[in-house]
Amino acid sequence: MSTKKTILIVDDSISIRQVVSMTLKGAGYDVIEGCDGKDALTKLDGRKIHLIVSDVNMPNMDGIAFVTAAKKLPAYKFTPVIMLTTESGADKKSAGQAAGAKAWMVKPFQPAQMLAAVSKLILP
Amino acid sequence: MTEAATELHHRVALDGPLTIYTAAESKAKVLDPLKAGTHIEFDLAGVDEFDSAGLQLLILAKQEAARRGCSLSLCDHSPAVVELLELSGLVSFFGDPLLIQPHLA
Amino acid sequence: MNIDDVLKIFIAESQELLQQMEDALLQIEQNPHDPDIINAIFRAAHTIKGSAGLFGLDAIVSFTHVAESVLDRIRSGEMAFNDTLTALFLQVCDQLNALIAHVDAGGSLDELEPALQKQGVALTTNLSHYLSGELAVAAAAPQRATQVVRESSDTPNEHWHLSLRFGPDVLRNGMDPLAFLRYLNTFGQIVHIVTLTEHVPAADEMDPETNYLGFEVAFATEADKETIEGAFEFVREDSQIRIFPPNSKTVDYIQLINELPEEDLRLGEMLVRCGALTQSELEKALLKQSEPEASPAPIGEVLINEQNVQPQVVTAALQKQKQVKDNRTAEGNLIRVDANKLDQLINLIGELIIAGAGTQLAAQQSGAAQLVESTGVLSRLVEEVRDSALTLRMVQIGTTFNRFQRVVRDVSKELGKDIVLEISGGDTELDKTVVEKIGDPLTHLIRNSMDHGIEPASVRLERGKPAQGTVRLNAYHESSSIVIEVSDDGGGLNKDRILRKAIERGLVSDNQSLTDKEIFNLIFEPGFSTADQVSSLSGRGVGMDVVKKNITALRGTVDLDSIEGVGTTTRIRLPLTLAIIDGFLIGVGKATYVVPLDMVEECIELTSDQSSAARQSTSDYIDLRGDALPFIRLRELFAVEDEPPRRENVVVVNYAGNRAGLVVDQLMGEFQTVIKPLGKIFDNNRALGGFTILGSGAVALILSVPGMIGAIAQRQAAPSTAMTINS
Repeated sequence: MSTKKTILIVDDSISIRQVVSMTLKGAGYDVIEGCDGKDALTKLDGRKIHLIVSDVNMPNMDGIAFVTAAKKLPAYKFTPVIMLTTESGADKKSAGQAAGAKAWMVKPFQPAQMLAAVSKLILP
Repeated sequence: MTEAATELHHRVALDGPLTIYTAAESKAKVLDPLKAGTHIEFDLAGVDEFDSAGLQLLILAKQEAARRGCSLSLCDHSPAVVELLELSGLVSFFGDPLLIQPHLA
Repeated sequence: MNIDDVLKIFIAESQELLQQMEDALLQIEQNPHDPDIINAIFRAAHTIKGSAGLFGLDAIVSFTHVAESVLDRIRSGEMAFNDTLTALFLQVCDQLNALIAHVDAGGSLDELEPALQKQGVALTTNLSHYLSGELAVAAAAPQRATQVVRESSDTPNEHWHLSLRFGPDVLRNGMDPLAFLRYLNTFGQIVHIVTLTEHVPAADEMDPETNYLGFEVAFATEADKETIEGAFEFVREDSQIRIFPPNSKTVDYIQLINELPEEDLRLGEMLVRCGALTQSELEKALLKQSEPEASPAPIGEVLINEQNVQPQVVTAALQKQKQVKDNRTAEGNLIRVDANKLDQLINLIGELIIAGAGTQLAAQQSGAAQLVESTGVLSRLVEEVRDSALTLRMVQIGTTFNRFQRVVRDVSKELGKDIVLEISGGDTELDKTVVEKIGDPLTHLIRNSMDHGIEPASVRLERGKPAQGTVRLNAYHESSSIVIEVSDDGGGLNKDRILRKAIERGLVSDNQSLTDKEIFNLIFEPGFSTADQVSSLSGRGVGMDVVKKNITALRGTVDLDSIEGVGTTTRIRLPLTLAIIDGFLIGVGKATYVVPLDMVEECIELTSDQSSAARQSTSDYIDLRGDALPFIRLRELFAVEDEPPRRENVVVVNYAGNRAGLVVDQLMGEFQTVIKPLGKIFDNNRALGGFTILGSGAVALILSVPGMIGAIAQRQAAPSTAMTINS
């Protein structure tokens, strides 16, 4: 399919957000950004989003709460989620998995790793 | 879904996404036509999005058709469908002729 | 925005994090088990590692990784912070700072200075001592990326075999099995694939959102097993993923056939179709299977097989950590602004004030009431703009204070004295330009306190003090000044010794009577101390005149209180801002001068009686409601020669508790004053603090009240010498 796929990146670190965004845009994806869970929820306005990449620990609303809320919205019920984490705490991870976030990526990652992860989850 | 019916031959166009997002509603879409005839053809030209959930529904329809003793064929596969059929190696399972896509040739 | 811009953000972020890390490390010495502090240190290392990876800064990633692994053991309670570890991590902090600075300077991490590189290796080695075997090995040889194992592919029909059974929930979780297969094609080729359709149930039972698909795949790739496993990392917990390398033994496949729920023959056929087994191998195997003596696959073997597809145990162990990344700075509420832009704004506002004053003057001269009124409103607004612009540059002194934790720590180790730094008033704000310049003098004072003030532990115990010495940094606002105190609970200054030295040096004559404070403050005099005296002087000494000079350059003052045996307090008083002040205009002869308004206490008329009385006595004092008020005639000070007016006025100024009167001709009212620096030629003139341009375009000199009061004090102290304020 030729339509551009849209990815939402949610992270409170500007530099991570920007690098991820640049990498994905470079690979031909449309990218929208959210600086925390609360902000990102406002972006889930019904538009088609093919993948959500979200940090776990963020101010205002953390990644787990965000994904839980997102998965309750019919339009995003099946949207794949990549959780970014600096470490993989078992408790957070199981909470996240219960919320439907099955793909976890441990920071640091190379832009290429991000692209690989994205292409595992998005059919062209 | 539009139907152009002869007595036994149903040609059904499946339009729009056939994916996990639409899977629940699409199940009926692929099963209902089977009740109407002995030879059913799905026109897939309008399937602009297709994924494993969609593929499963086609498999379901194919198997259900066989169980009912009618035949199901697929035609006018959209590029999205062609790609996944080839990827999954299920082209021969459905047994329908595929148009060779320019980019795949 | 390109990658370089983002890199700059990364550098700034990292530097901030490293500062936080250092602060936390200094706190950890007092509370080695405080989980919040440990987390703060860990978090800093983590985030830096995380971001550095994005920029391909592998050297920083691998170095930070080792540090982080050690920190993780501390966090999990396996180890605790001690002095050695803290010192080590402070070095790690320094090293990271150096690496970041190197990146900032545009250098490549592959071309480090030898010293930096050596330090990196040394620290890594040191750190890996704290890691247990496996991790230490990994740390010593950090892997860059997955190694691609190249195998000769001269037997092209030998492929990897992947047996994939995706879990029922993968679709609901947004994972598409076909997307993973598609991904396989990015690093290899699916040679043959069989999709298992038989698990799709009959229509009534089929849940369209449940996955029923499985695959047997023959896969050609030069990648290693880890890479192939990696393709399925997001689903392997919910799915059964089995990977067989090329030329796997037949028994492995047989075991696969046994384990999987599909009918043996059907699966066997698939394997044959995928080229994993030959038909005869399959037949033989299935035959053997049916023989009664063939034991079922022992559990152990199944487990081993399972382990093949499980994530690396080491990685899993490494990652069993708790998550922390809260306590973030509220990034969203702050904007980073180039300090130069702020300076430019302040300068413009300075010009605005001058122009505004000109307009107001013109308005008054025109006599147009409406114009006067509107310029009045305008100038009030300008004043508000000025105030808020100045607050933009106000920063808390806490950051500067905290930096001294490190200084105190390092110096106390160096001196072998146990000294802690206590900080208070860190939230006191002052102008950024002042903050930047206060660092050196403070360092000097703190080092002096530690070196010469705090006694050795044995002496302290003898004197009944705690063995641990304390240096305190405190800040508070007082009128429009900020006061910064450096105090210690050391031995204090020896008055007699200072006096003796001062007399020796010819700074004071031996018949002068000085107050204690005056004696203590002698140590700020240039030439009071020289290097060779530092060791013989129990108090402080070296370079205090330099401190004073620096502070004076900031229009500030410094003085000192000391009680022998109890401690010393040095007080630095600085103006809150260097740029704009509320001034009070005074006229002498034809010239106009500005006195900072906040130092003006009151204005009184100098009666002719007082004037002539003062003239007749040798000293210039007037009686201010019973108190003797020393005064200076600006007319004399600035050698104004024309006839004084019939009535003169006295402006009573107060600075740091000292009052003095300035005798002037005219009182002209308030004026917003933009301070412009005077040229070098005025450097020695302590009476002047700068100049400003009046609304009329005329120049007015700004009087330095501290300088004036100092001059008056000096004159009183040495009445015989002719008064001079040119020191």
